[in-house]
Formats: sequence, structure tokens, C-alpha cells
Amino acid sequence: MSHIFREYDQTLRQFQEMILKMATLTRQNLEHAMKALLTADTDLAHAVIAADNDVDDLERRVDQMGMEALLRFHPVASDLRMIIASMKISTSLERISDHAVGIAKRARKLNLLPPQAEVQWLEPLYADAYSLLRDAMDAYTQHDPDLGESLDAKDREIDRLHKQLTRAYSAKLEAHEGPAEAWLHLIFVSRSLERIGDLSVNIGEETVFLESAKDIRHEHRKNGSGGDASQ
Amino acid sequence: MASDSPDTQEPRPAIEVGGMDFCYGHTMALKDISLTVADRKVTAFIGPSGCGKSTLLRCLNRMNDEIPGARVTKGSIRVGGIDILHKSVDVVKLRREVGMVFQKSNPFPYSIFDNVAFGLRLHGSVVGKSELEGRVEAALRSAALWDEVKDRLRESALGLSGGQQQRLCIARSLAVNPRVVLMDEPCSALDPIATARVEDLIRELRERYCIVIVTHSMQQASRVSDQTAFFYLGELVEFADTMVIFSNPANKLTENYIRGTFG
Repeated sequence: MSHIFREYDQTLRQFQEMILKMATLTRQNLEHAMKALLTADTDLAHAVIAADNDVDDLERRVDQMGMEALLRFHPVASDLRMIIASMKISTSLERISDHAVGIAKRARKLNLLPPQAEVQWLEPLYADAYSLLRDAMDAYTQHDPDLGESLDAKDREIDRLHKQLTRAYSAKLEAHEGPAEAWLHLIFVSRSLERIGDLSVNIGEETVFLESAKDIRHEHRKNGSGGDASQ
Repeated sequence: MASDSPDTQEPRPAIEVGGMDFCYGHTMALKDISLTVADRKVTAFIGPSGCGKSTLLRCLNRMNDEIPGARVTKGSIRVGGIDILHKSVDVVKLRREVGMVFQKSNPFPYSIFDNVAFGLRLHGSVVGKSELEGRVEAALRSAALWDEVKDRLRESALGLSGGQQQRLCIARSLAVNPRVVLMDEPCSALDPIATARVEDLIRELRERYCIVIVTHSMQQASRVSDQTAFFYLGELVEFADTMVIFSNPANKLTENYIRGTFG
């Protein structure tokens, strides 16, 4: 139902459009960063680093517009939740994009070293992290709190893969197989993908808050059903 | 939002309205209203014009008795456990128990002192001069006005600013030690600074009184009240903690009204 004050509707619409644009750019940055890493494409890595500025700009605009909406329209109920949740989602997206930039920078450095076939070990972890990010944004755009709430379980698989990869790359490092720097970069890429999983879970949790006014953050830890304190 | 940590025990009720209908002549203005207003809390009545919120407020100290044909046709209203609709109730005494502050400040054309002393003299509850002066000072202090007027108590109340006049009216109702203070849009004629002073005062007064406020300002309701009741077309649609009403109301009508998507 429309607000009596039409400009309010317009602001809320623009706000959501900016989040969606930010999500599209973030996903694209992650795809390109991983492609740059897996195909040793340094030019693509440069492009990801440059594109991050657009995500940063959008984050600033989302914050500005959110502040303006809070100030001018005094949103309440679902409108208030929409603005608060979207501002937090924008922060998560910006961090995901930062991780994509981190991966691109490591890809650039790895491309200067002898190629390591083991870089491909990251693919299943990447596929899961990317899928989790896509699900998180689907939950937001399709107003689906059930999907948002389901992400934590999928994130546990990502945590498991990350631990396995860290162990495997550490073994290579300790065995002095190839340059130590390469294994360290790959461990940190694995860590970034694991963090992207966590941030996607955060987006899902904010969607649950937005749609059903339920705060499920940290619930899985309370229930003792996951989470890794060592991470 | 005006919310504190949850109380460990349920506050006792100051006002209990049970299944009440109210009519102006043949027109029903309130239908089957039931609500319990807690003591030492601020309760806001909100809703669109004509929803019945001011009518209900005026029922609580029988101000509607002055309107020909206006009457409660069903149900009950109890203040401090006493049935205020009973024939034996002395409405002058009732209005001492249940004070009222109106939309527009209405000081009498007397001195500041006499305005506050008026109720005390009317009810004959004060005998000596020094006791009267003490009660007037206490009431002016409670209304956060004493420091501004203590040196000009004998000057006309009409020389005060709008915000000061409204606080003087609050002092006048507090002077007789009421149980409940009803406020009908008390800040609608005030500037933002005077409004902030009155709102601050309302928050202070809740320590000692039950306050019921009718307001058209959603922001004011969310700032000052502990509980909020939403009325529509003479019916009580939702009554809950203010934090709940303004963050996650249970009723779609309430949500549409507070979000401004009504109609």
C-alpha cells in the first residue's frame, strides 16, 4: 500500500534499487576476482580493484539516503525495519566486495609466481560461497524470511571446506612444495571465501528481521548448532 | 522510544474500562471499549480525527457530562477501583482525582499564584496561608516552572509564554494531588522548545502519576509514552507497549496508520 506522502514511497523505492545495484556489482566483483585467480588473468584482477570504488560510493549513498529517510519521514514498523536492515545489508555487501578485491590482489601476486594447480581446490568453496550470497540476496528481493533463516546451515558446509583447505595448503607449506608465499595467498583466499559465507548469513538474518521483526542473530551459537569460535 | 527495562512486577491499574459504549445522541462514538491503563505510566491514545480518542479521554473524568445527549450507554469505567459512572460520584471530587490539561492552555485571568491555588481553595483542602504557599510552590516545581516564575508569582498568568502557560495549567492540575492526569494534545499549540519542555515534564511526572495523553503526533507518542492505544472509527484496534506498536504492530490497520499508508 502506498504512503500518503508520495515522496516517501519514492525514497524507499530508490533505496531498495541502490541495494540491488550494489548486490549486482558485488556479485560481479566476486565472480571476476575468482575468475582472475583461477585463470591467472591479471587484467581482470585490475578491473575488480577499480570497480570496488563504485560499491564504496553506493554504500555511502545508501547511508546518506537512509539518514535522510530517518530524518525526514520518521519511518516506523516495517518501513523502519526496511531502512535499518538495508543499511546493514549494504555494509555486508561492501565488505564482501572488499574480500573480492583482496582475492583480486592476491591473484595479481600469484600470477607473478610459478603456477600452482592446487589453486583449483578453491572452486567448490567458491561455488558454495557464491551460492550462499545469491540465496541471501534472493531472500531479500523475494521477501523470503524462510530462505534467509536457512542460510546458517549452508554456511557450516563452507566452514568445513575452509578448514579442510587450510589444512591441505598448510601441509604444502610445511612440506616446502613450491613458494611459501603462494600457499599463504591461497589460505587467505580460502579465509575470504569463508568470511563471504558469514556475511551472506548476516544478510539472511537481516532479511528475517526485515520481514518478520525477528532477531535471529547469534541464535545458532546459543543453540550450540554451529559457529566456529576459533574463526 | 520511551521504554525502560521491563518491570519486574506488573504495575497496578489506575483506570479500568470494561465493554464501554458511548453515544452522542443516537450516534455511537465508542464501541465496546475495554482497556486497563497502568498507574505510573504514560499511555498515549492515537488515531485519525473522529476515531473517539478524545471522547474516551473526556469520559475518564466525566467531562462529557457537560454535553447534552452525550452518555455512556453500556459498560464501566473504574478509576482507582471506584466506579466513576455511579450516580453517587461527586464529579468535582472526581476531577480532583483525574486532572485535565487541554490542547490550548487556559489560565484564568488571575495571578500565577492564584491560578495554582484555585483548585486548592475550591476543594477547601488547605487551611493555612503557609500551607497554601507550600503547595503552590511544590506544584510549580513539579511542573518545572518554579525557577522561571518564583519572582513574579503575583503577576498575571496571561503574561507568560504559551509553553509556560501550558506548564502552569499542568501545575494547576497537580496542585490538588490527582491520581491521573489527562492531556488532550497538550503540545499542539507550542513551539518545538516548549514542546520538548512539556514532553520532558511528562516523562518526569510518570514517576508519580498515571498520565494519559491524546496526540496526533506519532513521534510524540513514541517519545513520551510507555503504552499506546490505537483507535479507529470508535473502536480500540490495538493496545500494547509503545515499542511494539511502533516497531511491529500486530494489526494491519495500526501498521497502515502509523506508517502513513492509511486509506
